[in-house]
Amino acid sequence: MKAMNRRKLITVSAVLAAVSLAVTAVPAQAAEVGVTSTGIKLGMTLPMTGTASLGYNKIPGAAKAYFDYLNANGGINGRKVTLVVKDDRYVPTEAVAKTNELILKDKVMALLAPLGTANVKAVAASVNPGRRGVPVLFVNTGFSGFADAKKYPTTYAVLPSYIMEAKIMGQYIKENFAGKKIGLLYQDDDFGSDALAGFKTAGVTFAVKVPYASGSQGAAAAAGWITKFKAAEADVVILFGVSSATSAMLGVAAQLKYAPQWMLGSVGGDATTIKLTGVPAGVLYNAIGFSPVPATTDMKDEYVKLFSDIYAKAVPGSTFDLNVLLGMNSAFMAAQALKAAGPNPTRKSLMAAIDSKGSTFANSALVPLGYSKTSHVGLTGYWVGKYSPTGDLSPVGGTYVTYTTDSGAGAVVKSTYVRPAMPAKGLPN
Amino acid sequence: MKKVRILSLLSVTALVTTFLVSVPVAANAAPACDGKSPIQSCVGATSDGAPYAMQVPANFNGTVALYSHGYRYNVDIPAAIPLIGGYKVTNTPEPVPGGNADVAKYLFSQGVAIVGSGFARQGWNPDSAIKTNVELIDTFKKQFPTTKKVIAWGSSLGGVITQGLAEKHPELVSAVAPMCMADNVNAELTMAGDFLWGLKVLFDPTIKAGNYSAGAAGVGESYVDLGKVFTVMGKLQAGISTGAWPDTSSATGKALEAAGIPVRSALLYLGLMAGLPTQSAHFDSVNGPEGALKLSFPLAVSPALAILENGTNAAALAILATQDVEMQTGGAIFDNTKTNYAARIETEAVIFNAALSGNTVIGALSAALSAANPGAPRAVGNPAAMAKMNALHANTGKINVPTILMTGLADPITPAGASQRVVNAYAEQFAAEKVAALKEYQKSKSYTAPTNKLLMLWNTTPANWTKFASTGAPITSTPAAQGTNHCNFTSAQLVLVAKSLVQASSTGKLPSGGAIATAARKAGNLSVDKNIVAPLLKFYSDN
Repeated sequence: MKAMNRRKLITVSAVLAAVSLAVTAVPAQAAEVGVTSTGIKLGMTLPMTGTASLGYNKIPGAAKAYFDYLNANGGINGRKVTLVVKDDRYVPTEAVAKTNELILKDKVMALLAPLGTANVKAVAASVNPGRRGVPVLFVNTGFSGFADAKKYPTTYAVLPSYIMEAKIMGQYIKENFAGKKIGLLYQDDDFGSDALAGFKTAGVTFAVKVPYASGSQGAAAAAGWITKFKAAEADVVILFGVSSATSAMLGVAAQLKYAPQWMLGSVGGDATTIKLTGVPAGVLYNAIGFSPVPATTDMKDEYVKLFSDIYAKAVPGSTFDLNVLLGMNSAFMAAQALKAAGPNPTRKSLMAAIDSKGSTFANSALVPLGYSKTSHVGLTGYWVGKYSPTGDLSPVGGTYVTYTTDSGAGAVVKSTYVRPAMPAKGLPN
Repeated sequence: MKKVRILSLLSVTALVTTFLVSVPVAANAAPACDGKSPIQSCVGATSDGAPYAMQVPANFNGTVALYSHGYRYNVDIPAAIPLIGGYKVTNTPEPVPGGNADVAKYLFSQGVAIVGSGFARQGWNPDSAIKTNVELIDTFKKQFPTTKKVIAWGSSLGGVITQGLAEKHPELVSAVAPMCMADNVNAELTMAGDFLWGLKVLFDPTIKAGNYSAGAAGVGESYVDLGKVFTVMGKLQAGISTGAWPDTSSATGKALEAAGIPVRSALLYLGLMAGLPTQSAHFDSVNGPEGALKLSFPLAVSPALAILENGTNAAALAILATQDVEMQTGGAIFDNTKTNYAARIETEAVIFNAALSGNTVIGALSAALSAANPGAPRAVGNPAAMAKMNALHANTGKINVPTILMTGLADPITPAGASQRVVNAYAEQFAAEKVAALKEYQKSKSYTAPTNKLLMLWNTTPANWTKFASTGAPITSTPAAQGTNHCNFTSAQLVLVAKSLVQASSTGKLPSGGAIATAARKAGNLSVDKNIVAPLLKFYSDN
């Protein structure tokens, strides 16, 4: 019913516009919010402080580092891209307040890479970027629902969905750990629901599943988790949680000398972040990990090389890790979307550019993007790696073998995707 | 934590103002006027016995502002009942919101007279109150024959009465302003009833929660319920800190407690399923005390405390308004036999997942509160009584005259969704008017664009407002934050509405564009942002 009314409105508006054209001059087009002749303003909310911020708080610095590099090389058609960052501490209500500020006070053109399923959903429900026509680019959550272009018309996923990740994990388990007892630690929300759906599709049977409520993770909780995994005699334990849950689990496991075959989900699998909490790197040795982008230590990769050089100059002394790479990758993709949006980009032209050209945007990932006029699906797969004695994730067998799938019942298949060469100097064409 | 303050629905008892002369004359007689200047005061009573008060400035310009007060309980409340005890039924007229002197002063300065009725009956009364207002308008015009225009406004249930007057008698009013408007009776009492039912089936099964006996016995039962509900709320307040469930909890509640489900999560679930705001007078669900609870307090605790603060009001309304409407309709009017509470909180379950303690706990609470659980028996309404309730006056949301809505985004009694329903209805109405105008253009080749007749002023909340003592305890003694509590408007905001009404009445057009945006900003915490969309009351997701 609402859709019908909207259509009516559009029809009537179009006709009335035609009527008015006959008697009045066409007014000059107003400049787009957040876009001036010299600049483009983007906004980001994510946890910058508090216990949930660990690792993720490097994303804004990474994105800014890329934008500074871009601006030093001419920006987007001469416009410099600036990023306004607000700390939401991973609290949904605060994300709503901070996003309101970004849109209404800071007047950003678009939101970039907001983090957390609950936060993005709270913003969608309360701030209504879809109704406002504000683009929400490349959200930092793999919740499959955000790829629904009808429900979230201005929101674009970038990470592979948690369902995809679980399906690919399931495939790996079937091929490598058949007959083993599998345990699963997962966050007891939509993040975890996606994982459970993916594992179910993959046909994985668990000896034990241990949910934890978001915010409850910590050393005390981890001790309880380990008791459950031990009781179930789990041979392989999958940690499908946020960094703080993974770190708590591995830290306590090290103390208790509990050492099953670990398998780490990408969300909580950044070794730099884990080690920052005091977890010995050796605990990670031989753990299985998953990533859509190259290993952050792979300096033969042209993106990793360029991005790490840019980051080293912008944020000296800070480790180039998975959060940094993903942050810079999102900024690079945003730059391409802005460039593709035309000489005078608008919110509409920005989204139209992603819809029509987004699947071809250059980026560091080793798996394809799924954008189209009807889909806001981002990356669609992973490669499988193992952690080294120093905690670095490298591809199993030394070369990247990527797997791709969807968030439905589609099979997991080896990807034939060949990543195009990076545009000159890592700048948008 | 200090005692959570309840915003009494009875705040109108404090509304007797210096503008009023409280000696009514015989019903339907001509007003008794004091003839004073510069403000002449008149009192009287309409044919239904409702006392009224008129105040007319010497510079009367022919415009009168008719104000309708909000819900007042229809029974005295014994002093022994906590928080709201001591209330006496009153029909004192209220010609400006809350007797606000600034508002009266502004209207008088513009040559606008003020008038208001105390209404013949209290409780849920739009049917009779609209008739009273119609008669009162006629009485005023007869007494002051130079009257040219009537502007009408009202708060809470008075907003319903005002909107109803404009829907049924647009010929009588030139502009209206329903403020913090309640929704229709079925939607309001569904919200209140859902929360009360939840308290009953989880925390104290001896709460009657509706289906009260007829007459004085039913009133007595409602008093008992009030005491029990406030007692439970007190225990819940303690339980949020300690984790303990009320000792009066049902078998279902005790089973949930034994399963390790935090009582704060259960309370939050009840608030979410009823549609209560998760921000309240003192709890923003954003701030946390310095130290270990900096993050976990807003994430896991504050939403439950907001529900506690807001829910205390909802529970009081549930009991007393339910008892009143049952008295009017002759039976139980709350029925949740078909309500799917799990479906109702689908979105909220994601946003407040941490405070609800995760999907497993959410699933356990949904199962406990489902119709399939005999341990949480559903309330069964009386079909005849429900039919009578549904036949009580209900607004459609049709806008006939320039209309100004103003409401708080976290109002716990009359949620912002009540105004959003009118905004949505008007969007459809305006689109239809455009289509009609276009059709007319195709016939006559003369196009007249329809005029916008709705201005929505959202009373927004600050970015954050919860404050903490040095001990880390939240402070609840500060004034309620803007956008929270019921009809929590400042004088500046009310004067802006009055100004806009006067302008609309004079010109036929509402203030618009940058002018109203600037005025709203200057009035403080008001927004005309058309992209603010408040959630409708949960009743509408069921029906």
